[in-house]
Amino acid sequence: MAIPVAPQPIQQPKSWELSLYELHRTPQEAITDGTEISISPRSLHSELMCPICLDMLKNTMTTKECLHRFCQECIITALRSGNKECPTCRKKLISKRSLRPDPNFDALIAKIYPDRDEYEAHQEKVLQRLNKHHNQQALTSSIEEGLKLQAINRAQRVRKRSSDDPLAVVTGNPGTPGTPGVTGQPPVGEAGSNVVRKRQKTSSDPESDASENTLDSTGETTAETSEPVNNWSLKPHPKDHDPETVAQQTRYIKTTANASVDHLAKYLAMRLALESQQDETGTNPSEEGNEVPQFTIYIASMPGQYTPLPGSMILDFVNEKYWKVNKPLEMYYALSKPQS
Amino acid sequence: MALEGQSVSRLRKDLLQLLPLLGNPESVVSAFPSGDNMLEWTGTIKGGKGTVYDGKVYKLTLEFPSTYPIKPPVVKFMTPCYHPNVDQQGNICLDILKENWSSLYDVRTILLSIQVLLGEPNNDSPLNADAAKNWNKEVYKKALEKFEKEIAK
Repeated sequence: MAIPVAPQPIQQPKSWELSLYELHRTPQEAITDGTEISISPRSLHSELMCPICLDMLKNTMTTKECLHRFCQECIITALRSGNKECPTCRKKLISKRSLRPDPNFDALIAKIYPDRDEYEAHQEKVLQRLNKHHNQQALTSSIEEGLKLQAINRAQRVRKRSSDDPLAVVTGNPGTPGTPGVTGQPPVGEAGSNVVRKRQKTSSDPESDASENTLDSTGETTAETSEPVNNWSLKPHPKDHDPETVAQQTRYIKTTANASVDHLAKYLAMRLALESQQDETGTNPSEEGNEVPQFTIYIASMPGQYTPLPGSMILDFVNEKYWKVNKPLEMYYALSKPQS
Repeated sequence: MALEGQSVSRLRKDLLQLLPLLGNPESVVSAFPSGDNMLEWTGTIKGGKGTVYDGKVYKLTLEFPSTYPIKPPVVKFMTPCYHPNVDQQGNICLDILKENWSSLYDVRTILLSIQVLLGEPNNDSPLNADAAKNWNKEVYKKALEKFEKEIAK
C-alpha cells in the first residue's frame, strides 16, 4: 500500500491526509489488571502544568488544531498581546475560537490533586525559601558558627537528643536505618553521639541567635516550629570506594526540609574528621575545621549516573526533584576535586 | 500589581530551572537576580566551543517587564561584544526577543539562544555592519584554509 507522502510545500491547502505519525501510531494497551504505575511528582507535574506560567493548569484551554494546553487566563492574555500563534508550536491561532475549554483535563487534575490549594501553597513556600537562601555567603558563615557551637557543646559532653534539630544523623550499621544507638562506637560514640545534632541558622529565623546561646550554655534547644523531616541515606561515591565499603559506610540521616546540600556536605566533612580521630576525645573538632576536606554530594538521578548537587540547593527541593518510592532518598558523597 | 506578582512567580520558576547549572563548570549559561528586584537579572554566557568566541565570557543584563512571560525581557550585553547582531550599546538583534517571542521561553532558553547566536550570526540584518562584513571574511578565510589543506593532501 503505497501512500503518497510527498514533501509538503509550505503553502499547501488544507488537506485531510494523515501525517506520518498518524499513519503509524498504534493504540496503547489499556491497563485492566491491578498493575500500578509509579510516576514521579516531577514528571507528573510537567504533564499538568501550563507552559506559560509553569503553574498547574487552571481552567484548561486546548488549542483545537495542535492540541496544546494552557490556562485560560494565560493563553487569552498571550493572544491579546498580539502574538496570534500557539506559544508551543507557533501554529496560527486566529482568535479565542481556535481554543476550546477542556473540562476533562480540569477534572483529571482535580482528581489527582484534590487538595490543590494546599499543594500550591507548599510549592510557593519551597520557592520562597529557595529565594531566601540564595545568599550563599551568609549561609556558609552561619553553618560555621553552628559547627563551632556544636563543638563547644560536645566538649562539654552535654548530649541530648532532639527531633527538632535540622540535622540528626544516625551513623552506621547497614540494615538499621533510622535506629539510633545501635552502633558500637568508642568513646565519642556513646549513646548521644550516634545521634549528632547540628544547629542551623536560617536568615528567616530571628530567634536563632537567642536559641543558639541557650544551646551554647546548656546544650538544650528551644523547640522550634516542627518542620517537616526528610529521610536520606548517604553512601560513599562508588568511583572512590569498592562496593563493600559503600555498603558498610551507608549513613542514614534525617534533616528538616530547609537544610541545604551545603549543610549536609559540611556536616559530613566534620563528622568524618571526627571519626578518624575518635580516640582523642578531648580534642575540639573545630580546630580541625580548617583542614576538613570538601565533599561534593551526588544524587543518582538514574542508576549508575551520578549528578553533583549544587551546594545552595535546599534538601526539600532535592526530595521533590529526585523522588523515589518507599525508601530514604539515596545520595552519594565524594571528595571534591581540588580547584583547578 | 497582580500582574507583577505573576511575572515574579514565573521568574522564581525560571531560577529553579537554572539552579542545577549554577554549580556546574560545564554549563555555558548562568543567571541570577542582580539584587532584591526579581525583575532585574544578570546573566553570563560562554562562547561556544569551536566558534571564534571560544574561551570568552560575556555578562548580560535582563530586564523583565511586569507582563513577562507574555512579553520578552530586554536583554543587553554588559561586556562589550564585537558581533554582527550586537551594537555598541550592547543591544541585541534577535528575533525571539522581538517579533518571534513566545511565552514558553525562559531565562535559560533566552541565554542559550544568545549563546548560539554568537557562533551563528544573522548577517542579513546587522547592527554592527563592520563585524558583519568581517564575519564573512572570517568564514571565507576558514573555507580557504580548509580548501588548501585538502589540496595539500
